[in-house]
Amino acid sequence: MTRTPLIPLAALALALAACASTDKPEREMGAARAMVSQARPIAAVDAPQQLAEAQLKLGRAEDAMQRKQYEHARILARQAEVDARLAWSVAENARAQRNATEVQDANRALRQEIERNPQ
Amino acid sequence: MKFHPRLTMIAALLASGCAAVSPGAIQRLDEARAAYRSAAADPAVQKNAQAELQSAAGALEDAERAVAEGGPSELVEHNAYLAEQRAQIAQRTAGTRSAEAAVAAAGEERRRLQLEAREREAATAREGLRKAEEAKREAESRTAMLEAERLEKQKEGTAAAGLSAEVKRLETELADLRAKETSRGWVLTLKNELLFDTGGSTLKPGAQRALDNLAQFMQKHAERSIAIEGFTDSTGSKDVNQQLSEKRAWAVKAALVARGISSTRIDARGYGPSFPVAGNDTPAGRQLNRRVEIVIDPS
Repeated sequence: MTRTPLIPLAALALALAACASTDKPEREMGAARAMVSQARPIAAVDAPQQLAEAQLKLGRAEDAMQRKQYEHARILARQAEVDARLAWSVAENARAQRNATEVQDANRALRQEIERNPQ
Repeated sequence: MKFHPRLTMIAALLASGCAAVSPGAIQRLDEARAAYRSAAADPAVQKNAQAELQSAAGALEDAERAVAEGGPSELVEHNAYLAEQRAQIAQRTAGTRSAEAAVAAAGEERRRLQLEAREREAATAREGLRKAEEAKREAESRTAMLEAERLEKQKEGTAAAGLSAEVKRLETELADLRAKETSRGWVLTLKNELLFDTGGSTLKPGAQRALDNLAQFMQKHAERSIAIEGFTDSTGSKDVNQQLSEKRAWAVKAALVARGISSTRIDARGYGPSFPVAGNDTPAGRQLNRRVEIVIDPS
């Protein structure tokens, strides 16, 4: 999942830069920053690996922006956003599963209590 | 012509990018396809994560197009990566929705269980109340029954004591009357000499006081019936004695009826010489056998 090689990415960015527009990827950067911010509070515990990947890529995207390597930044930003979204989904899923287990356990306990106290 | 180093590099990259897609990129794409197929086959994803699945499909199409256009490999890998991540996001999202549905269902179940528990508690309380009321009613009816029994016994006791006292008084007042309590009730024995002349069945004037007392006794104990039984000794004909004993019992009954006692309360019969109370071989014994017995019905 985190195997995307960065050197080829840089090469891709350069290749794209050669044949595509060189607009600043502000929209992609904004989406990546927003998604990382959204994921960070809940993913820190339940999806640390995915969150770390997203933060690493976002940091490199910011660096690329600084160096005006916009296509490189665009690619990194897109991957950072999808990584952050996955981190958030994993954490949300873990939270929901815990909730489900908790309420089901509580119900089981309640059912046992009811059955233990027959009329 | 001198080549600019950067331009040379870009040209090299473009050349590599536009060349055949690298095996690594193809492998990456295969992994992305597998991840997408797995997500697309999941009914939970189809139901609850359609948007995420569509997004993965879009990235996969981009990767496939890049391959068809011969690269660059990095673009194939980038889009394959996005597709694989989005396929995973779709599965996690579907899992989250399923868990949330389970939480909602558990909430419903909990409300149902709590309602059931409350209903059981209420039923238990009602049952307890019902049992307590039943026990109270039973206790009350038992108390009432015991009280009624006690009163009944007291009444009977009083009545019995009253009857006994009356009989004793009669016995004391009338010298020729003997009273004895038997299993048939009180039996008053009157000597014939007090009531009749020898061989006759007409009451003597001297019997009036005894009959007055007896009538008074019967008026006082209006609920009781009596049996008047006449007996003779064994001297003379049995038939004559039988008739004589009957006539004497009837005479006593008639005297009591004349004193206002209902004839339905008096049963009169004669037994002749039967049931002697003493031997008929001595004058004293014969005298004891010549008698009228008045049996006071015990109830």
